[in-house]
Amino acid sequence: MGIKQSCSFTPCVLADLSLLFCILLAPVCLATPATSPAALLQVKSGLTDPEGVLSGWSLEADVCSWHGITCLPGEVGIVTGLNLSGYGLSGMIPPAISGLISIESIDLSSNSLTGPIPPELGVLENLRTLLLFSNSLTGTIPSELGLLKNLKVLRIGDNRLHGEVPPHLGNCSELVTLGLAYCQLNGTIPPELGRLKQLQKLALDNNTLTGGIPEQLAGCVSLRFLSVADNMLQGNIPSFIGSFSDLQSLNLANNQFSGEIPAEIGSLSSLTYLNLLGNSLTGAIPAELNRLGQLQVLDLSMNNISGKVSISAAQLKNLKYLVLTGNLLDGAIPEDLCADDSSSLLENLFLAGNNLEGGIEALLSCAALQSIDVSNNSFTGVIPPGIDRLPGLVNLVLHNNSFTGGLQPQIGNLSNLEILSLFHNGLTGGIPQEIGRLQKLKLLFLYENQMSGTIPDELTNCTSLEEVDFFGNHFHGPIPERIGNLKNLAVLQLRQNDLSGPVPASLGECRSLQVLALADNRLTGALPETFGQLAELSVVTLYNNSLEGPLPESLFQLKNLTVINFSHNRFAGSLVPLLGSTSLAVLALTDNSFSGVIPAVVARSRNMVRLQLGGNRLTGAIPAELGNLTRLSMLDLSLNNLSGDIPAELSNCVELTHLKLDGNNLTGTVPAWLGSLRSLGELDLSWNALTGGIPLELGNCSGLLKLSLSDNHLTGSIPPEIGRLTSLNVLNLNKNSLTGAIPPALQQCNKLYELRLSENSLEGPIPPELGQLSELQVILDLSRNRLSGEIPASLGSLVKLERLNVSSNRLDGQIPSSLLQLTSLHRLNLSDNLLSGAVPAGLSSFPAASFVGNELCGAPLLPCGPRSPAGRLSGTEVVVIVAGIALVSAVVCVALLYTMLRVWSNWRAVSVSNSDGEESAHGGHGGGGGKWGDGKYWKVGSPVSWSAEQKHSSGSETASVLLHDKSTEAARAGKR
Amino acid sequence: MATRSMSPVAAGVWIAVLVAVVVASNEEGDALMALRHSVKDPDGVLASWDPSLVNPCTWLHVTCNDDNHVDRIELANMRLSGPLPPELGKLEQLQYMEMSANSLQGPIPSEFGKLKNLVSMDLYNNDLSGPLPTTLGNLKSLKVFRIDHNRLTGPIPRELSGLPDLATVDFSSNDFCGTIPTSGPFQNIPLTSFSNNPRLTQGPGGYDANC
Repeated sequence: MGIKQSCSFTPCVLADLSLLFCILLAPVCLATPATSPAALLQVKSGLTDPEGVLSGWSLEADVCSWHGITCLPGEVGIVTGLNLSGYGLSGMIPPAISGLISIESIDLSSNSLTGPIPPELGVLENLRTLLLFSNSLTGTIPSELGLLKNLKVLRIGDNRLHGEVPPHLGNCSELVTLGLAYCQLNGTIPPELGRLKQLQKLALDNNTLTGGIPEQLAGCVSLRFLSVADNMLQGNIPSFIGSFSDLQSLNLANNQFSGEIPAEIGSLSSLTYLNLLGNSLTGAIPAELNRLGQLQVLDLSMNNISGKVSISAAQLKNLKYLVLTGNLLDGAIPEDLCADDSSSLLENLFLAGNNLEGGIEALLSCAALQSIDVSNNSFTGVIPPGIDRLPGLVNLVLHNNSFTGGLQPQIGNLSNLEILSLFHNGLTGGIPQEIGRLQKLKLLFLYENQMSGTIPDELTNCTSLEEVDFFGNHFHGPIPERIGNLKNLAVLQLRQNDLSGPVPASLGECRSLQVLALADNRLTGALPETFGQLAELSVVTLYNNSLEGPLPESLFQLKNLTVINFSHNRFAGSLVPLLGSTSLAVLALTDNSFSGVIPAVVARSRNMVRLQLGGNRLTGAIPAELGNLTRLSMLDLSLNNLSGDIPAELSNCVELTHLKLDGNNLTGTVPAWLGSLRSLGELDLSWNALTGGIPLELGNCSGLLKLSLSDNHLTGSIPPEIGRLTSLNVLNLNKNSLTGAIPPALQQCNKLYELRLSENSLEGPIPPELGQLSELQVILDLSRNRLSGEIPASLGSLVKLERLNVSSNRLDGQIPSSLLQLTSLHRLNLSDNLLSGAVPAGLSSFPAASFVGNELCGAPLLPCGPRSPAGRLSGTEVVVIVAGIALVSAVVCVALLYTMLRVWSNWRAVSVSNSDGEESAHGGHGGGGGKWGDGKYWKVGSPVSWSAEQKHSSGSETASVLLHDKSTEAARAGKR
Repeated sequence: MATRSMSPVAAGVWIAVLVAVVVASNEEGDALMALRHSVKDPDGVLASWDPSLVNPCTWLHVTCNDDNHVDRIELANMRLSGPLPPELGKLEQLQYMEMSANSLQGPIPSEFGKLKNLVSMDLYNNDLSGPLPTTLGNLKSLKVFRIDHNRLTGPIPRELSGLPDLATVDFSSNDFCGTIPTSGPFQNIPLTSFSNNPRLTQGPGGYDANC
């Protein structure tokens, strides 16, 4: 106690010994003990006191009787203690508190105080204890606190203090406890703290301190407790820590310390708690750690420590927790991990996430074990049948290893077991019925194994079960009928097994059920009415079963549903029972037989993200209310019987990534507002009855990957704006009535791997620019249009193309030899055009059907003979099949005979020829037409006659030759 | 203020257990999620990859076949960077791996040799390094194999000579060494497909000491 400060500002309060000192050393100070109440009332006036604990603070009562006030025993009015902890006080700490000059202890912790720590506290030189922790104080730590020479305990953590730790605290030489944790302090640990020789407890954890641990800290020779966890400290762990001979607890967790663990830590003979988790420590576990005979907790997890598990609980006789999770440890669990004499105290062993291998039999010596977590390693072998030598086991976590064999009946002896997690191993066999004895079992995770058999009825005796997950095994038979015994069950995951039979009615008794996943089984029958009792149910997935019938109306009572996936079943009837909840995020009912209209109430779930109703029998219009679902990302109403227009309100669904309305009877136009759906990745409106043009606004959907408008009645031309869809992978405009030219701008869609424009009335040339679509792979289909000109040689650049179909157009010229570069091509159709000349030899491996209906020759067609100068003679086709010749001759004979019998027969033959020409024109207008070999093949042959008419010079070609040609092909077509 | 309790330890167990419940659903989705986690995706093109979905078939840039197995990854020119995860080798029905023109780094994982149905592997214009795994000789369906403009090293595995349909190939602008294979499909592949590999030599040659 010492030198007076600041007494000139205010009349000092006289208190205990300081009164004497004040008189001796600071004559200006007045001896007025009565100022204590005044200062306290000033303090009171600055605070909000919701519980009224300060209501008794008034001058009418003795200050020493005030709530929270302690006075010097035997003296009058000399306040030494102020304790207002945990009263919900708010407001700022009034600087007037510095008037309590006699005060020794201030405790304002665990309130809601705000504002700064008043620097004036620095005058309270008698202060021994200052507790301000767990408030909302802001500002920096005032350096004036360094003036408090008598301070022993300073705890101001769990506030919003920022700035640096003031080096001045190093002057508080009496400090025993310094608590600055859980603030926002930054900067480095001041070396001056090393002057605190009395310091026993230093808590700096959960700040944002940087730098290393200063070597001066070695001066804190009395340290028993050191925590700097959860900062951003780096560098090596200093070896001088080994000199803190009284150290009991060392916590350096969650920093960026690197290097090896100093062996000197092994000297800390009093250490009971050592936590180095979450750093970047490397190297092996120092063997010296085995000297820490008092150690109870050792946590080295989440580092990069390698080598073997060199810890021996046989030496660390007090060790209860051993946590080595998340390192690079390898090898086996040491045989001597625990002594064989049942003396081990080891209760919790966490070795998860290393590269450990071998079996786990060594653990059976650790008789006190309560928790085993060896998950995410490479352990092999069986789960030891002797596991019941560990009767205290509560948690047995072995998942993500390669354990094999079955689950033994002895598991039923682990009567304390609460968590049994064995997923993702190679376990086989069934679940022993003894599992029913595990009355405390809460979590049973067997998923992703190869287990089989039926689910034993005894499982329903495990009435503590909260989560059951058998996903991805081969369990067969029914779901136990008494499953309803599991009243605490919150999660039942049986997906992807071979379960059959009905969903038991008793399931409705599992009133706590939140997640029910029975998908990917062979369940049959209808959902029981009792489902309506599962009031907590949030997620229910039943997809890929054979469940059927209408849904029980009671389902409408389930108000907490967020995810429903009933896809691929045989449910029928109305959707309404599924729409009781307004919290639906996912409603997936694809491929059932639901009927009726889409109820507008579905739009009450404003958080809906996915609405998938495709492949049902829904009728009526798309409800405009769906436009309220502004968070919708997937809307799939495809393959129903919906009619009417696409409602304009859907333009509000601006987050749509998938819009699939294909396979309905929708009418009206393709809406221009689709261009405002900037997140759209897939748009499928195909197989409807949409009319009008393709809106150029679609070009604004810059993220569009798939665009399908096929099988509609769309007219007009393809807008060049489609070329702005530079992300587009698939463009399908097949089977419309589109006219005009193929826009060369399509070349900008250079990520297209599939382009289909067939069965339209497109005309003009194939733009050579299409050759720049170098990613085209699945197909380029331009067939059944009115395209003319030559096949551009540039198409030879499409080296990934697997299918090319330009058949049934009016393409002429020769087949460009560049097509030989199409090394990926396995289907080619150039048939029914006006192509001429020789088939390039490299294409001869394609069948004749790829080329017929042209004026081509050469393999696989007949050779280009001397009478067949390139590009002239339609006779290439005439004599394709030798056997046809006989038939042709026969037809000629018949015709001649007919001529002799009927004088008007010649005139009639001309008439037939004319009608063929008209069919050809219709075919060219895109009115359909068959593939190779179907009954409409005749149209395909007709361009032959058209070309012949244009080539009068071929004098040898007579009407009869034309007739032969068609007869021949008719014969061939009939054979197909 | 208090000592750090055991809560991190306990939390470790619970996180491991609970996360597994949510995610463990389908292997192909997991494999693709491994890709998502492996690469940096500055443009968020993988944002639609939601692991909670039944399968990845509605994820953008992913296509499935009729059996709901992934048959195409279409991620060319997406500014992705980082390594290719070996988990992609689990996409057994993958036919098209289109990931050219990114900044993918590191080796081509040997697990890609399990992609038995792969028709096209386009990884050109990336930053891939390391040797070509010999397991690629198992890709019997492969037709298009373009890995030009990377930093790949080592010899061209002779196992590739056994790929019957290999036709469109570009190994140029890497750092391959040794000799260019001449048998099997390589009989028909032009030398330009191997250009700008200073340590790669033509002709039968012996074993290159530098390779």
